[in-house]
Amino acid sequence: MQLGRVIGTAVATVKHPTFRGERLLVVQLEQIDGRDDGEPVLAFDRLGAGRGDRVLLTNDGQALQDMLGKTTPGRWSVMGLPD
Amino acid sequence: MFMARVVGSVVATQKLASMTGHKLLVVEPYRVDEKTRDRLVPTGRSFVVVDVLGAGLGELVLVCQGSSARLAPETEKLPIDAVVIGLIDAVDVEGAEVFSRRDASR
Amino acid sequence: MRVAEVIGRVTLARSLPSLKGARFVIALPLPRAAIEGESITRGEEVVAYDDLGASPRGWIGLSEGREAANPFGSAKTPIDAYCACLIDQITR
Repeated sequence: MQLGRVIGTAVATVKHPTFRGERLLVVQLEQIDGRDDGEPVLAFDRLGAGRGDRVLLTNDGQALQDMLGKTTPGRWSVMGLPD
Repeated sequence: MFMARVVGSVVATQKLASMTGHKLLVVEPYRVDEKTRDRLVPTGRSFVVVDVLGAGLGELVLVCQGSSARLAPETEKLPIDAVVIGLIDAVDVEGAEVFSRRDASR
Repeated sequence: MRVAEVIGRVTLARSLPSLKGARFVIALPLPRAAIEGESITRGEEVVAYDDLGASPRGWIGLSEGREAANPFGSAKTPIDAYCACLIDQITR
């Protein structure tokens, strides 16, 4: 798992069928000192996170497959909003 | 996937039994010139890949790497992490042809 | 998945049978500054399988690694990068 900050929401009309009806966030993962860690990732969110929020992401493909189905090409998802 | 040019092959008499009869190539990844974007440039890196398509020396190929490399009937039982999935015919960047197999073979 | 910009395409003369007729695009993963509108140099490109019809200069959701092959299900297909969606807009 990693912590990151939501920098935007991605809108896509043409997409893999398993993405239908899902919110897709653009999240910048953070290093220990809060600096950017690599390029932003696209993460699925059912917890209602918005721009500027800190989020806890999991990179567990299985978790996302349980949510969206076995054939989903996604990987990252929001598993919590830290207090 | 990444683009790479075939620069040689690996012959190993001593190898895992499962690898018998499989062709191994040495390839050098190529990438689009970062500044001009009008040609492919060598990266200096080197990978060994399995080939079942018969890629020849100097040919540009498309390589799949990681655990996905085993997702083919030809490779599913092999202890490999990179496979040639195609022989490249042409590469276009921003509407201009930066590689063509026809020109390369001249 | 990462956000990537499509800059070109690769056509194959021959491929593994499972990839006959497949389309491939060249995609550059975008750093944060590029997503936020600055024009800066991009990272190293990835060649991705595309059946959504991604066009040059368009932005896509780029799936990489083992999950890039998930859409093929039991039809085992050696793909390590997959165009998972065409991004219309990123609201900030």
